[in-house]
Amino acid sequence: MEYDVVVGIEIHLELTTNTKMFSGAPYKFKSEANTCTNEIDLGHPGTLPCVNMEAVKKAIMTCFALNLDIDKLIKFDRKNYYYSDLPKGFQITQQFHPIGKNGYIEIYVNGGYKKIRINRAHMEEDTAKQFHLYDETLIDFNRAGVPLLEIVSEPDIASGEEAALYVEKLRQTLDYLGVSDVKMEEGSLRCDVNVSIKPKGSNEFGTKVEVKNLNSIANVKDAIDFEANRQAELLEKGEKIVQETRRFDEKTMSTVSMRLKESSVDYKYFPEPNIFPIKIDDAWINSIKEAMPELPDAKSKRYLNEYKLSEYDTNLLLANKMMSSFFDEAMKSATNPKNLCNLLTSELVGLLQKDETPIEKSPVTPVNLAKLSNILDKGEISSKQAKEVLEEMLSGKDPETIINEKGIKQVSNQDEILKIVKEVLDENPQSIEDFKNGKDRALGFMVGQVMKKSKGQANPKMASELLTKELSER
Amino acid sequence: MRLQDCTTNSATLALEILKKNNEKLNNIVTFVEPTIKGEGKLNNVPVVLKDNVNTKGILTTASCKILDNYVPVYNATIVDKIEKAGGQIIAKASMDELAMGGTNLTALTGPVKNPYDLNRISGGSSGGSAVAVASGAVPFAIGSDTGDSVRKPASFNGIVGVKPTYGRISRYGIIPYSSSLDHVGYFCTNVKDAATLLEVLAGRDDNDMTSSFEEVKEYSKELNSDIKGKKILVFSNVIEAISNKDVIESFNNLIEGLKKKGAIVENVSFDEKLMRAILPTYYIIANAEATANHSNLTGLLFGERLEGSSIDEIMIKSRSEGFGPWIKKRFVIGSYALKEDNQERVFRKAQKIRRLIVEDVMKKLSDADGLIAPAATGGAPLINSTSTNQMSDEYLVADNHMVIGNFTGCPSITLPMGYTEGLPIGVNLTCNPFKEQTMFDISFAIEEITGLADKVKEDF
Repeated sequence: MEYDVVVGIEIHLELTTNTKMFSGAPYKFKSEANTCTNEIDLGHPGTLPCVNMEAVKKAIMTCFALNLDIDKLIKFDRKNYYYSDLPKGFQITQQFHPIGKNGYIEIYVNGGYKKIRINRAHMEEDTAKQFHLYDETLIDFNRAGVPLLEIVSEPDIASGEEAALYVEKLRQTLDYLGVSDVKMEEGSLRCDVNVSIKPKGSNEFGTKVEVKNLNSIANVKDAIDFEANRQAELLEKGEKIVQETRRFDEKTMSTVSMRLKESSVDYKYFPEPNIFPIKIDDAWINSIKEAMPELPDAKSKRYLNEYKLSEYDTNLLLANKMMSSFFDEAMKSATNPKNLCNLLTSELVGLLQKDETPIEKSPVTPVNLAKLSNILDKGEISSKQAKEVLEEMLSGKDPETIINEKGIKQVSNQDEILKIVKEVLDENPQSIEDFKNGKDRALGFMVGQVMKKSKGQANPKMASELLTKELSER
Repeated sequence: MRLQDCTTNSATLALEILKKNNEKLNNIVTFVEPTIKGEGKLNNVPVVLKDNVNTKGILTTASCKILDNYVPVYNATIVDKIEKAGGQIIAKASMDELAMGGTNLTALTGPVKNPYDLNRISGGSSGGSAVAVASGAVPFAIGSDTGDSVRKPASFNGIVGVKPTYGRISRYGIIPYSSSLDHVGYFCTNVKDAATLLEVLAGRDDNDMTSSFEEVKEYSKELNSDIKGKKILVFSNVIEAISNKDVIESFNNLIEGLKKKGAIVENVSFDEKLMRAILPTYYIIANAEATANHSNLTGLLFGERLEGSSIDEIMIKSRSEGFGPWIKKRFVIGSYALKEDNQERVFRKAQKIRRLIVEDVMKKLSDADGLIAPAATGGAPLINSTSTNQMSDEYLVADNHMVIGNFTGCPSITLPMGYTEGLPIGVNLTCNPFKEQTMFDISFAIEEITGLADKVKEDF
């Protein structure tokens, strides 16, 4: 039998803020254990929560980016349970009034756009990190109280591939938004998936299995593919699917049962009495909206439609936030987007890769790369010369200085080039012969000779044109 | 003892008296060597704190076994404020376990005795603090008030007990009972001191989001006993339910006095059903919030930890041993009220009834200046008293009406009003939110009428 795969995804996103969600303790990833914590994070008696408005701001930005309706009355609730990673014995979350509701993002799949609906996004605090050793458990409370935004999709995802695209799209969007580090491997973006299958076309959902803590986009896809197959095989054998929580084992590329979901836990949610509802005013929301950075979808449209870049180039620029922001910065003064894009994505990136310098630390500034691009665009130097100049620019010098110092310039004086063209033709009768016999390579050889004689300074396009013209006359 | 009587050796002297008295009164958990850390309105003033006020480096037990080794790493906001103003903390006082009670019989260190009769209760839950002031050892002690935990013991001990508006004094660093009802309150012996002390304690604290930005006034300078034209409502439901003739007589005399001073006195009755619902509503809300608030007490990170083979076992053992049976009963009630299947029918309903009570009271109070009633139905009960009829109006309404001050968050004060069989009885006045000045002004007039300022009981 054929089956439809139904997937819903819950993402826990760590918001990047200087301090915790409800305390003034500083937070920096990879700090020494238990140094980013205070009496509030440790749940000491008498402590009270204080809402981090920077986290609220980043949550609002995310709501805008994910097309969610924003609740202008911020309310928090308590989720009660006992666990050693939860010092207060309750987590402050937004059970009854999530900050964002009813949103969506679009993924590009099978040659078209598909809308994935987002049910809700709510703010909460992270728990401490536990390290279970052989006979003891170590707890690092640095993570306790870190601001989280939980983003819950509707079950609109129909395959591992779509799930991977959804997570990647979210990751890219949130990265551009600058609200999170979005590093799955470091846990700043954590992904749980709910997978079920149903006979193709059926309206009845199957039994849902949750796969937790997938730490890469590849794992999201692999886990769902495996899980869908596993469930299908069970059904084929006439067996039942058990509602349970599983984890993905990277070594065996399979999912492994962690625990059964018996009756659901009663968290006794109730409104947090220590935080009065916070009314956020429209002026603040509007100022946040106005200050939103341009998101990948909009950038993509701009590159394709306004700059007429190819889809390949556009994706190349967008794949790295720093790359596209370098490009945008350079475009403020560059005249030819295509030239600039080539210089950036094939030339500069290649040079930087030699010593693994990231683009944001490039010694060549966007302004200088734009200058180089414009000089090239005006035909004052050749592409080959541009490459040479760019290499020199790694020292931090601007292109004009280098061109002046080295005396590099492209000869575009017709008489001068024609003189050299004639010399080359006189010296290479065999090549003329070859050309006339249809050997196109001969022209290339002769252009090369012109370039050599001009010490690389001749405008190659002009050289080629003049050669063709002279040849037809001989 | 008055604030103004304090001199350079007051703290040392007070500590000696406290220690001596403690043998009979049993009101102190921890004594603290006085140190001067600031200068201001509380220069030379020895201060006693209820043992649920966190003091950095000083044992803070909340009179609860699970915290009997708890040494806080931070100060409550009010501790810093008191010390900055020159106050010297000399002791942490006994209380009902985790502030849950009205007798001070549930403290880990045993019952606190009433200085007027050592066979009687101090009242609670701030009993240790009340007795420290009533016995003449200190002019000022901090308490906390969730139902009437400052205002009831003030009545039983013949002193002034203040619970200002919710949000007026920061709760940061006070081991909680029920967050939506908890207030920091305090004891002293006269209204002028009460006004001065609020100047020190009140104010916005960024560590407590529920604390108010409302300006803190110079209450003591503005104090004025001229109450001509002030409209005071007499709480009829309470008066009607009280059987003690001394209480009624003292109260009527006081009302006559107020009228003589030109106050407009009117009787007011509230919905009887709502009044009878005060206590159960309070019980549900307070215990529900308390069960969550105290989920941090597991023995894992602080407090008494009992060993076990798993984290769950450590928590279960530590909590089983660490709380008194009355606390466990409250946790069970609180959990029951919050359970998903019950929440709408129990907890949410209690919140709705709270709102109805608040609306009913505020509708009448908002065009008056104060609501007045006896603070208790009589003097302090005997430690071994037989239980009262908990279904009677005397208990449900007259003994628990001050919870209204916690439901509404309105400022509320208890002042000495008279005596019954040699035991003090108090009067309670509740005013509109942030109208502490009005509350102190009317109280100042009451003090003039009763002549009961600075009454302490030093021999017992």
